Amino acid sequence: MSLRIDFGIEGGFAALPGLAKPLRIDCADLSKEEAARIEALVRRADIFHLRLPAHVASIPDARTYTIGVDDGSQHRMLRVEEPIADDAMRELVAELRGHAARLRRAGT
Amino acid sequence: MRRDPFPRHRRRCGCCPIVPPELLRRIAQNGTKPQREAALATLATDHSLRFARATAQLLGGPARRITLAAAEFMPHRTIFDAGHREALPGKAVRVEGQRAPRDVEVNEAYDGLGATFAFYADVYDRNSIDDAGMPLDASVHYGVRYDNAFWNGRQMVFGDGDGEIFNRFTASLDVIGHELTHGVTADEANLVYLGQAGALNESISDAFGSLVKQYKLGQTAAEADWLIGEGLFTRRVKGVALRSMKAPGTAFDDPVLGKDDQPATMKGYVHTTADNGGVHTNSGIPNHAFYLTAIALGGHAWEVAGRIWYETLRDRRLKANATFRQFAVLTVTTAAQGFGAAEGKAVAAAWQGVGIDASMGSRRLARRGDRGAP
Repeated sequence: MSLRIDFGIEGGFAALPGLAKPLRIDCADLSKEEAARIEALVRRADIFHLRLPAHVASIPDARTYTIGVDDGSQHRMLRVEEPIADDAMRELVAELRGHAARLRRAGT
Repeated sequence: MRRDPFPRHRRRCGCCPIVPPELLRRIAQNGTKPQREAALATLATDHSLRFARATAQLLGGPARRITLAAAEFMPHRTIFDAGHREALPGKAVRVEGQRAPRDVEVNEAYDGLGATFAFYADVYDRNSIDDAGMPLDASVHYGVRYDNAFWNGRQMVFGDGDGEIFNRFTASLDVIGHELTHGVTADEANLVYLGQAGALNESISDAFGSLVKQYKLGQTAAEADWLIGEGLFTRRVKGVALRSMKAPGTAFDDPVLGKDDQPATMKGYVHTTADNGGVHTNSGIPNHAFYLTAIALGGHAWEVAGRIWYETLRDRRLKANATFRQFAVLTVTTAAQGFGAAEGKAVAAAWQGVGIDASMGSRRLARRGDRGAP
């Protein structure tokens, strides 16, 4: 089964209810290259085993990303706060932001 | 000319705050050794301009250069290009006094920081974020199609926007004023970024962000649009701005972005764990109270309404975890004691207009005769 990711963006200077509402990114709907790239980033970020750093204090206008990942056998829900220190997670979030923007444009 | 109701030495310094810097300087020169050391320590701890000048006269070398630079009330801007990466600060591309390069975002950030610095210096006699000439650093071209701007505790950061929903975040002067004001708030009251204190933190940034724009345009409270982030949305979005202080909840209504969900009064207060307890949502309530205050007092909003909010932010009684009501009570007290009974009543009425009764607590504070001044 391909990866399915629910992705939302909370907060930020431009905090908007439409961005916070999670959007489904289904790798089955993407091109082979796009799906492979996301799957590789999910593996690199080690989403299913990752230990997030403890919350300290929020930075004004920094955003929190809600990321729910399901590969058919495992599910993990994460809240990732900016600034994102981990390179793989930062790349994954940037990739998901791009896909979410395209889906919103398409009216999904 | 009217006497300034808020003398500049009314600072949060907890060490030796009631002694004027001139007296401290004399002690540092002529006192016993322990007295000299204590006076110098106090001068070094309080970064207000008068203290900086006094310290500058006592010290030579680098410290003298730093404090004199602070005393000059000149901005020290550096704009960095993050090169579409999410690493800060990036490469310095324009420093203070340099000619404008061919980069719209760089120049908008440079000019916006300059306008914000000028606002705080001219109106509130404040020398940069920390009132001690702190350099103003900002990074532009942060991330790829990044839809945000933020203050990271040391500098401002601006994304280019995705071009679909958002334009570049340097396009709106009140955004730059908003982010820089987060630095001012951290320096003065350090309001925690959670719940009502977080919404106050956001609201203060919106209020002074709007005032920076109004000051630049020379607008009265009645003439101002009271919009936050006007010009950030592309033409595809059904909305005029991100937030409206005049009419919270009406800034946008778009099929993709949803409807502006800011409440104008406590009846609409949103209980949520998202966005640090809805800091960008519930800020609509104090935002609207500030707008109502500014309209009631009339004229240029930065002169009286803004001054009341600014002095409240500097008041040592404002706790880091302040509630809306606690903040409201302090604004009423500040208005009544700094300007007069009519102004105090106008501020109390504005808070009443958003569903917060601030009159009772402010009378108690006034009876205690404690102005929060050191």
